[in-house]
Amino acid sequence: MRYRAPATDALIATDLDTLTALFHRPSGITHLVASPVPEILAALAEPMTRDQLLAALARDYDLTDPDPRALAQRLDELVASGLVATS
Amino acid sequence: MTDPNPSDDPRIETPTDGDADGAGVPTRRRLLQLGAIGAGAVVSIRPALAQSVGSVLVCNIPVPDLGHAGSFIDANGALVPAGTKGAVAPPGRPFKGEEVKRAMAGYRLPGTNYESNRAYMNYIRRLQRGQGGFTCFASLQMPR
Repeated sequence: MRYRAPATDALIATDLDTLTALFHRPSGITHLVASPVPEILAALAEPMTRDQLLAALARDYDLTDPDPRALAQRLDELVASGLVATS
Repeated sequence: MTDPNPSDDPRIETPTDGDADGAGVPTRRRLLQLGAIGAGAVVSIRPALAQSVGSVLVCNIPVPDLGHAGSFIDANGALVPAGTKGAVAPPGRPFKGEEVKRAMAGYRLPGTNYESNRAYMNYIRRLQRGQGGFTCFASLQMPR
């Protein structure tokens, strides 16, 4: 299964210190997200599998917990919220 | 095999000039934690319109409206005197917005047959502003 973030023009993002407000234009829903969500969405600009995403994040960041299960939970949340689509 | 050598001091790499300004310290990349701290990492705020969809679906559409209670409804949805041949009796209770929305999608209104469903739906489609149920029907047609 591959995951992908919405097109950049579908999201309006505003940083609120430790949180980020994301307005998802297609649904009209505003999401308040915390790290690592903005980083995951940035990485998913191009569709990839969970393992590829973990590798991409490990390449760009110092992961304190490179745990596939934790990443799976974040992805499940994002799919449920409509911020990430699967194919 | 390791041979600790207490006399061999590794501090030769310690910068003394301070010109590196943190360079060389292995924190050049940002820390990222995948596991959520406490609850999940996403809170979604739905727009007011989405909230109103719930109330739209439980609003009522009386057939016919209270001012014409007892009238029959002909196949085109027009109100005719009770007992008119070819017309159907009123359903006896108002339809819920949700039921009408389903009927607009091709399902039948509850408790109806082909004829009465067609008559009731034609009546509902002809509702005008000011008639009972008009606001409910109009809001059913708003895009989400």
